[in-house]
Amino acid sequence: MNKKTAVITGASQGLGKALALAFAKEGYALGICARGEERLKDARREVEQLGAEVAAVQADVTDSKDVERFISIVEDRFGRIDVLINNASTFGPGPTLLADYPAEEFRDVIETNIMNPFLVTKRVLPGMLTRGDGSIINVSSEVGKYGVAEWGAYSVSKFGVEGLSAIWADELEGTGVRINTVDPGEMDTVMHDIALPDCDYELAQPEDVTGVFLHLAASDDNGERYEAQTFDVKGASV
Amino acid sequence: MHAFTVPDELNAQTPAEQVHDRRDQVRLMAIDQHHSITHSRFQELDEFLSPGDLLVLNNSRTIPPVLQASQGNQSIEIRLSRKRSDDQWEALVACDFFSLDTPLTFNDGVEAVAIGHGSEHPLIVLEFSIGGSALLDFIYSHGEPVRYEYIEEPFPLETYQTVYGSVPGSVEMASAGRAFSWQLLQKLKQQGVKTAFIQLHAGLSYYEKDRWPSPEQHPEAFAVPEETARLIEETRRAGNRVIAVGTTVVRALESAVNPHGEVESAEGTTNLYVDEGYTISAVDGLLTGFHEPEASHLHMLTAFLPKKKLMNAYREALLQGYLWHEFGDMNLILK
Repeated sequence: MNKKTAVITGASQGLGKALALAFAKEGYALGICARGEERLKDARREVEQLGAEVAAVQADVTDSKDVERFISIVEDRFGRIDVLINNASTFGPGPTLLADYPAEEFRDVIETNIMNPFLVTKRVLPGMLTRGDGSIINVSSEVGKYGVAEWGAYSVSKFGVEGLSAIWADELEGTGVRINTVDPGEMDTVMHDIALPDCDYELAQPEDVTGVFLHLAASDDNGERYEAQTFDVKGASV
Repeated sequence: MHAFTVPDELNAQTPAEQVHDRRDQVRLMAIDQHHSITHSRFQELDEFLSPGDLLVLNNSRTIPPVLQASQGNQSIEIRLSRKRSDDQWEALVACDFFSLDTPLTFNDGVEAVAIGHGSEHPLIVLEFSIGGSALLDFIYSHGEPVRYEYIEEPFPLETYQTVYGSVPGSVEMASAGRAFSWQLLQKLKQQGVKTAFIQLHAGLSYYEKDRWPSPEQHPEAFAVPEETARLIEETRRAGNRVIAVGTTVVRALESAVNPHGEVESAEGTTNLYVDEGYTISAVDGLLTGFHEPEASHLHMLTAFLPKKKLMNAYREALLQGYLWHEFGDMNLILK
């Protein structure tokens, strides 16, 4: 029960899976979830092969019932949650001008990407606040800070995630629970293929950007925003 | 034992946050050590506490224990009451006719067989075909919260949680803490009031058909962490008060008192029955809701103040229109 536990949403592929493997290597027990069961099973096997204990739950984190089920199973299994990484998100349609963006899709992306870190954080916080310790990391994007044409609702939602982090960081000041934001930068993922289908330059691999997450899991930082690809392990963010 | 009737209009049917936007907007009836009564608001709880006082809260989280099963063509409602092992639960079968010898069939191909009687009639012990996280996953996927007949709307499970509940296991909400918001807890902290946590997984409080659990035969799993035991002893040495938030906290803390009268860390199951003849030694006050005349929780209150005084206070609460049950108003009793 003394082992630290990290919860990672959307952990069956891309950055989420790379994070699950990185935290497993560091000796964490893991709670992971994803919507698709098959890919989740594969991720679970890979994590277990590293010797980590893992609770893998098929769940849609935009649904509060699923969030309750997922987090309760992890709490029941490991007794505590030390680190939460809100990684799950959806891109929506590929490059689209806002003026062309279908309203329903816009609503879906906003709801998915903003509601899920809100719901999961709200559910994980009681355990962290009663213990006075915990680290929450929200995955954002460069387009959560800068408006760039054709990044659509995804970009708008990441602006929202940055706001969510900033407000919560202020509210959690002094409680021992920290909340920070990471912009992982452009990576070779399925999501990047959707966002920039014609990308012709070299991209970082998800496993190259996990260092900042491991740093934040254990640091006292609160309300900070890190860019993963310029993160220096010595503690500086350029 | 206690003769009074709660009129229908005093059954709280709706959570406070749906009526007033905030869960802490309920009323507070405070009874001090001289048995004098003050009518107040729960948000003003700080006026009855002093810097250095310690609130002890139960951070058990409510799971959804009501499951639908079938036996042949018959549908049967099962209410889980207490986890016995990875794949065994004590449960109430809310149905007149069912066979102990035939497996119960649930969704997803899950089955359970009755393997014996529970800690008291009418509970039985069910052994499920799955266990551990898979069984918990199944319970969350298909279970519903226990909703008693005075609740007309099928509120979701999150309605039956305290804001600080984080250890899944109670089949009914440890409701005394329901009215706390994080904002109110923060306000109390700023005033120097401390908080500590225990876990007691509450079992069913009612077995239907006028059948109520008897505490001596109603074991509940509990844990008092070392940090909490330390804070309690520190608080008492400093001459400050320890206030239990809910009868579950009283039960857990009194179960953790050592022969020297000190609270120490403990974990296990408790059958402790606290009533009029019991001398409370772990706490100096109790924050609780308003209880039905038949409930053992009400008997526990007579360990805090004489029965006659309690009944006077309850009469006053009825006259003043306080609301009863899990979404209702609060009652602070100081020893």
